Amino acid sequence: MRGQVAAERYTGASVRRVEDERLLTGRGTFVADVQLPGMLHAAFCRSPLAHARIVAVNTEAARRAPGVVAVFDGAEMAQLASPGGVLGESPGAGGQVSFGILAIDKARLVGDPVALVVAESRALAEDACELIGVDYEELAPVVTVEQALDPGLPAIFEELGGNRLFGPQVKVFGDVEGAFARADRVVRASIHQHRHQNVPMEGRAILASFDAPSGQLLVRASTQGVNTTRQMLAQQLRMPPDRVRVVAKDVGGSFGLKFGASREEVACCAASRELGRPVRWVEDRWENLTVSGQAREESFEVEAAVTAGGLILALRVEMVVDTGAYPGFAPLVVDTVREMIPGPYRLEALSFTSSGVVTNKASYVAYRGPWAAETFVRERMLDLVAQELGVSALEVRLRNLATRDEPPLRMVTGPSLAGITARESLLRAAEAVDLTRLQEQQVRLRAEGRYLGVGFATYIEPAPGPRQEGEGGDSEQVRVEVDRDGLLLVHTAQMPHGQSHRTTLAQVAADEFGASLEQVRVVVGDTRQTPEGFGTGGSRFATMAGGAALHGARRLRGKVLEAAAQVLDLAPTELDIVRGELVGPGVPGGRLPLAELLRRIDLAARSGQLPLGADADLTATQDFDGGESGWSGGTHCCVVEVDPATGLVRILRYLVVEDCGDLINPAVVEGQIRGGVAQGVGAVLLERSAYDLQGQYLSATLMDYLLPTALDVPHIEIEHLSPVRLDPDVNFRGVGEGGMIAAPPTICNAIADALSPFGAKVLEQHLPPARILELIGVTSA
Amino acid sequence: MAELDVGPQGSLTIRLEVNGEEAGGAVEGRTTLADFLRDQLGLTGTHLGCEHGVCGACTVLLDSLPTRSCLVLAASADGCRVETVEGLARNGQLSRLQRAMWDNHGFQCGFCTPGFLIQAAALLEDNPTPTEAEVRHALSGNLCRCTGYESIVRGVLAAAEVPEQAGDESP
Repeated sequence: MRGQVAAERYTGASVRRVEDERLLTGRGTFVADVQLPGMLHAAFCRSPLAHARIVAVNTEAARRAPGVVAVFDGAEMAQLASPGGVLGESPGAGGQVSFGILAIDKARLVGDPVALVVAESRALAEDACELIGVDYEELAPVVTVEQALDPGLPAIFEELGGNRLFGPQVKVFGDVEGAFARADRVVRASIHQHRHQNVPMEGRAILASFDAPSGQLLVRASTQGVNTTRQMLAQQLRMPPDRVRVVAKDVGGSFGLKFGASREEVACCAASRELGRPVRWVEDRWENLTVSGQAREESFEVEAAVTAGGLILALRVEMVVDTGAYPGFAPLVVDTVREMIPGPYRLEALSFTSSGVVTNKASYVAYRGPWAAETFVRERMLDLVAQELGVSALEVRLRNLATRDEPPLRMVTGPSLAGITARESLLRAAEAVDLTRLQEQQVRLRAEGRYLGVGFATYIEPAPGPRQEGEGGDSEQVRVEVDRDGLLLVHTAQMPHGQSHRTTLAQVAADEFGASLEQVRVVVGDTRQTPEGFGTGGSRFATMAGGAALHGARRLRGKVLEAAAQVLDLAPTELDIVRGELVGPGVPGGRLPLAELLRRIDLAARSGQLPLGADADLTATQDFDGGESGWSGGTHCCVVEVDPATGLVRILRYLVVEDCGDLINPAVVEGQIRGGVAQGVGAVLLERSAYDLQGQYLSATLMDYLLPTALDVPHIEIEHLSPVRLDPDVNFRGVGEGGMIAAPPTICNAIADALSPFGAKVLEQHLPPARILELIGVTSA
Repeated sequence: MAELDVGPQGSLTIRLEVNGEEAGGAVEGRTTLADFLRDQLGLTGTHLGCEHGVCGACTVLLDSLPTRSCLVLAASADGCRVETVEGLARNGQLSRLQRAMWDNHGFQCGFCTPGFLIQAAALLEDNPTPTEAEVRHALSGNLCRCTGYESIVRGVLAAAEVPEQAGDESP
């Protein structure tokens, strides 16, 4: 039965989650579930206009409204806190522009917070927001990239002198001109990825409680990392970090959204500090969809230098990112897109130009696989090249994929491709779907007016990727200790929000230490207890935290055995720890529970009976740099049928052949993959963050922003490839983002294949029925 | 529904049965059933994901029918029987649906969980042996952003396959 451990080891088994008993019985603790004595509620008065000068903010009536304790406008809030933060100082990330925690003289998007009302209940706070009078002087909205580059339109930040935030920045790898000169043809395309967004089921939320006597701010947050949140809050509230404690319990999803602290969250902390009372804010779905952040809006001009034999020698790429209103995360994404665009393919040269613009739309945030455009653009391009050369999508990939036994096993942008299994994954996927039979079926059905399509996408994911020469600095810390109850505590900076870290880290530590799973407690989400580290993201958990826990538990086991040997006067080699008990021929009674052993060691240490130099501190603080690691990756394959009458796409089959190294918990891995693919299904068939020409947001409810349901997401078949193990100990690799990286190009390639008899060219990612009917000429664009 | 007592500042006094126990309190006319359950009864297992009736996280049984508690006023639930996720386990024992979800890694972040459990429990009450298509259809009004639904569907099907145990009435 699933959930039982058949083998000796927990690692590799789909053990049941330790999180579930609580969550299945309604006893989770999300921020909105916490009530504190004297707690106040926050609501924001927000701009109804996309771009406007704020002439006056009148809060008098709101201040007198029932239940209202305080109102802060932008100027008042600026006295208490200032924006900026972890990414804020890097070029293009906002270092060169200034704005308020609440909008001061300008509103830059629909929903921009203009004032904060704090009241005895959320309803009363919202009532009072209605009483705030704001005089706006409307400015021409900047909604598209073209408008952002139009010098005739007003600058969203005057200090930028326009709406270009960074670039154009050109980077060249290899001999691009030489490659294009040698090419037999050049394939060109303009490829666009549309704006869509995270939409975690729990939106942003914070409960700030400032204790005036001690000067301590305790923050209960919904976050991907308590340390990053603390760092940003302390900086923006201008407080010493030791006065800020951030605690997170259950987090209802995030997918990249909840890093650090948003402007609204900083404002709530400032208000709590000012008022000396707890202030809670739980954003509603309108706020989440309209202002929490959006992702992915990126355009690419691509030229591929191709030989008659189907080799892609080089790419010229120009990328423009629409970063929305407030700068932040985009430059980091651009860097990763540039580095990753060669993927597992033998490209010999690349020219990459990048720019970012600001527009009057929601700010650009990370969303699962933030750099995924590299896979979308490359895998779409490969199909376009195949089409142009008259070879199959499979063939063009096989001709270009890097192979482990053919040097140089390295991307033209630098990173080593050591250990990749991309070719194996593609061949296996083609075999598993029986491509030859499918293609015959496709021809047969076309004669009946039915349109079947098959699509592939092959990708690698730096999760974290093999060790790179000259690389250093990245590491993850885990602290492992045995407490006096004989529990094995594993402290991590990772902050699970659906990824089951409390289970998987316990599996790794239990195996390595010799504990039973029930003895292990994974401690997360408290800046007082957990080590430094930015949190859960970038698919770094499995290798980085898994590796640190493995080595930490191993070291701690050595320490415990050493101390036990001294206390019991035995040789450490005669001792073992099995399922949390000390065992060995000389052990009194044959076995000693860990708690009892701890008591004896402690007693010996206190009475000076441990030999000099013996270590009774049964803690191991372990840093891990990822070891040799390796790539996650694989191939997705999708089979669709498109109905040319309705434009509806039916996914007939979806297959994932993947390699994420050794699996800690297969059910958790497969849940991550399926969840990512589901978001990809949504991105292509349903989801779009849509704006009108005035910058009004059109997708502000879940009836307008459509998430996939149980009827939209197909059964997803998953095969795990056997990995190339580069590290002697740690070969778990991250798997959080791959599903969402590979699914959009896979599905788009399948749809493009189905539509090929119509001569339709798919250059975009969002393909709802209306767009498909345009592409096949039933309706006009 | 009986006429409600109107208290100071227009508050209304309601009485209802929640998870088999008498409950009640003074509510504003605009207080939703979800807010009443969460804020006044402390039953925070019912989650609010959209507050406009789409995501289904707040689903409870209202007189045995799965209902979006964010769209129902507390005052209109006066005299009704309400069952929430907290009522699924009996005497400290998980229901077989809860056990099947645990065994099948049904959920990830846990936020949509209460709505799916209530919706699935109602399905199994009506149709103890649903097909996969019936399960998917029945759950299609509930949104999960983490799982891609497959594990949830498997959990419901597994719960349907487990024969009733003595004293285990709650699906």
